[in-house]
Amino acid sequence: MSVKVEVGAGGIPHNQILIYGLVGSLVLIYLTYLNTITGTEYFSFFGGLAAVVALLWGTDTIKHLCSYGLGTGVPSAGMIALGSGVVAALFGATTGPFAPIVTIIIAAIIGAVAGLMANAVVRMDIPVMVVSLIELAIVGAMTILGLSAMACGTFEFLGMITGEIAILGFIVQSYEFSLIGGSIIAVIFMLGAIAIQHSFNACLGPGEQQDRTLMLAAECGFLSMIPIAIISFAFIGMYAALISLVVSIVGWLYTYKKYIELSQRDAYAWLDAQPILEPKGGA
Amino acid sequence: MSALGGPKQTGGIQPPTAMGLVIGIVLIVAALALAYLLVQMAGLIALVGIIIGGVLIAFGVHFVPVGGAPAAMGQAPGIATGVAMLAAGAGLAGLFGGAWAAPLGFGVALAGGAIGGGLLMAITCTMVNVIYVFGMGIPAASGKVDKDPITGDTFPEFKSQGTEGHGLPFISWVGGVIGGALGGLGGTLIYLQLLDVYQAQLPVILNATVEQIAPVAVSLAGIFAVGMFLVNAVLAAYNITGTIEGPHDPKFKRFPRAIIAAAVASAVTGIFAIGLLQLVGVF
Amino acid sequence: MEEIVFGIGITALAGALATVAGAAEDVESDIGSQGDPNSQVQLAPQMGYIHRIFNKAIAGEPPAYGLWVALGAGLAWAFMAMQINPILAIVLGSALAVFVQGIYATTAYLGRTASLAKFGQPVYIDILKSMTTVTMAHAFIAIFATVAMCHLMISALGHPFPLPLLGIVWGIALGAAGSATGNPFYGKERQYQEQKFGAGVPISASGNIVRYAEAGQRNSLDNGFFSAKLGGPASGICFGLIVFFELWRTVVFEEFNIWGPIVVGVVVILVFAIIDRYIEVWARKNFGPYTAPEATEEASS
Repeated sequence: MSVKVEVGAGGIPHNQILIYGLVGSLVLIYLTYLNTITGTEYFSFFGGLAAVVALLWGTDTIKHLCSYGLGTGVPSAGMIALGSGVVAALFGATTGPFAPIVTIIIAAIIGAVAGLMANAVVRMDIPVMVVSLIELAIVGAMTILGLSAMACGTFEFLGMITGEIAILGFIVQSYEFSLIGGSIIAVIFMLGAIAIQHSFNACLGPGEQQDRTLMLAAECGFLSMIPIAIISFAFIGMYAALISLVVSIVGWLYTYKKYIELSQRDAYAWLDAQPILEPKGGA
Repeated sequence: MSALGGPKQTGGIQPPTAMGLVIGIVLIVAALALAYLLVQMAGLIALVGIIIGGVLIAFGVHFVPVGGAPAAMGQAPGIATGVAMLAAGAGLAGLFGGAWAAPLGFGVALAGGAIGGGLLMAITCTMVNVIYVFGMGIPAASGKVDKDPITGDTFPEFKSQGTEGHGLPFISWVGGVIGGALGGLGGTLIYLQLLDVYQAQLPVILNATVEQIAPVAVSLAGIFAVGMFLVNAVLAAYNITGTIEGPHDPKFKRFPRAIIAAAVASAVTGIFAIGLLQLVGVF
Repeated sequence: MEEIVFGIGITALAGALATVAGAAEDVESDIGSQGDPNSQVQLAPQMGYIHRIFNKAIAGEPPAYGLWVALGAGLAWAFMAMQINPILAIVLGSALAVFVQGIYATTAYLGRTASLAKFGQPVYIDILKSMTTVTMAHAFIAIFATVAMCHLMISALGHPFPLPLLGIVWGIALGAAGSATGNPFYGKERQYQEQKFGAGVPISASGNIVRYAEAGQRNSLDNGFFSAKLGGPASGICFGLIVFFELWRTVVFEEFNIWGPIVVGVVVILVFAIIDRYIEVWARKNFGPYTAPEATEEASS
């Protein structure tokens, strides 16, 4: 007794989104490296934008995967994506400037193994399973790496485990008040796990339209950036965090407004305080 | 969960493909060898612990009686939520207890984790029955078997028309507690192994005391335990295609597939988690 | 001894907070038709039953609450790192987490409903205006209580996990307990109020949810009143008992023997087994049997 997962047809082909998502998130995450080069923290927000691009790609992947019917809800796909992604992202982060590239490779390995196990051992026998889980693991890892870079200004492991805290006016180095020491990584994990699956889960149905779903994916990405920007006040400079916050809020307002317009376009009717419209001929 | 994926009804149990098995064994052996090369005996033991933990989680998920959306309508027996998530709730509650007891010794921590997970499921299953009986007036009736293997109660005469059974029979209650305990045990085992590895390596790398790096070690071990838990739980959920009644359900016999898949997935994610700190400072 | 008394006090307080959180969580999710009953709200228009129920499909309850509580905890942690008073930090963190929850709720309703255009289900934006705020209020109580409970566990009982990690653990447990306990009551007794009491909903009736209220048309606030009668409090007791026993067995019995908490845990599980068995037998005696045992089994589709 479950509803069939139906998706709309047409729109941008998946492979095109894949390439834009992969290259886009890689380039954007490397832009946060300007922080290290210039010795400032103003470029942290590029990490969040990398996560947004990755989430757009991940949403389209989830749509492809879930149109096969997994037998369990759409959210589980997001959970397996971020579960593999968190290991890959933190392992990649230890490789310094090569972090984003190593992250992608490790995530691809973990995703491939999970996909292979799902298809060959658990016998899901879904044609796109291996490819989809590879993509999802990469998306999950890039989301985690991007949002982490946004929160603490760097995607390098040592930067993630060291923080500073002012005690009685003195700035003290501390492992406790860092991105990983404070487990902010757990918040990023859950933000990604919900954002990656929400847009497809929320838009599924026979009237699903790709542009609306992807707009919602971007909205989820920018919405996830807002709390990370606020958390980043604890790690990076005031003005750098403020720039992140402004970028996230502007991006979120724009995508949210656009999403509402697209929903209005696709809705059967847009009513305020009206009674139930019984269909012609009665129920 | 908003279970909108149609469960795939396959007749019989398809065995894993030969290719899947061979690749799985190769991957496990390779991961074990790598663990020995990187961290010597301690790494090997840690990885074996992680694999056992992953297997326990995947096995435990099969015990948890979950009916998904139909259970919420009294159309199918079990607990009305998603299987991966209910198992995660129990397993993580176990992790809470296990992590708390970690300083008291390995055995106590493991037992604490198992009891924590079992306790959550015992209370939840009892309250579910309270709602079924006193809120909805529904007696327990399994749809898959005619007789409760533990109590000997017969079910067909208690089943209402047009449903696949409903409520939560005692065998499912027992299954839930066993599943929660196995999940808590597995999650705690993964956590303790990783914590040992990080507490041994981090002070050396960072030239700090064990107390100083404790938050980082706990956070890393904790978030990886959560991530690996979710990967294994979702693979197990794919194996049972969403819903299961407990150990008496014919679907339960599929568990060997999930155990193989979870062992391989844990070995691969585990080796990256164990090797996490090997590259710090190299680049 | 003094330490134990202090620990028991914290345990009781944490249990009370958890009870409040569980109750608020279930009412919140039922107002939004989140979790499993959501499938029926989604199905109804496809069967020709246009309704005015809030369709807030944000994942399942456990992951969704995992996010809300982890987010509230993470923000509270960050505010505390910025030297803000813990109570204020927890309030601010929970408020911001609720903002995210509210936005997710609106996008879920708009998305699901717009995708049902083919079946003639319109978007009622007054539902968004009146019900999102109510779910946000309930979610705030649930998140605040859970984050406060996690903070107590760390600062007073000395749990090693940092606040956000504890948030993820108890957030998912809160969602799991609330959805398991509360969902059937809302899904069967409220959505399918017209079906016979004491029986499951026949599969043939799926989608025929109750859409009209005592006066006028039912909206999700009516469902909130209903859930608050049994489903919500039961979820609250469920989560409260879980947190209470989990802390109590450790705080009190660890002093006597390190294996004490484990033995007590086993005893508590056995006690719940007896309670459960009693309830089951009571139901069998009082409600059934519906057919004579030798009658052939009804064909189920």
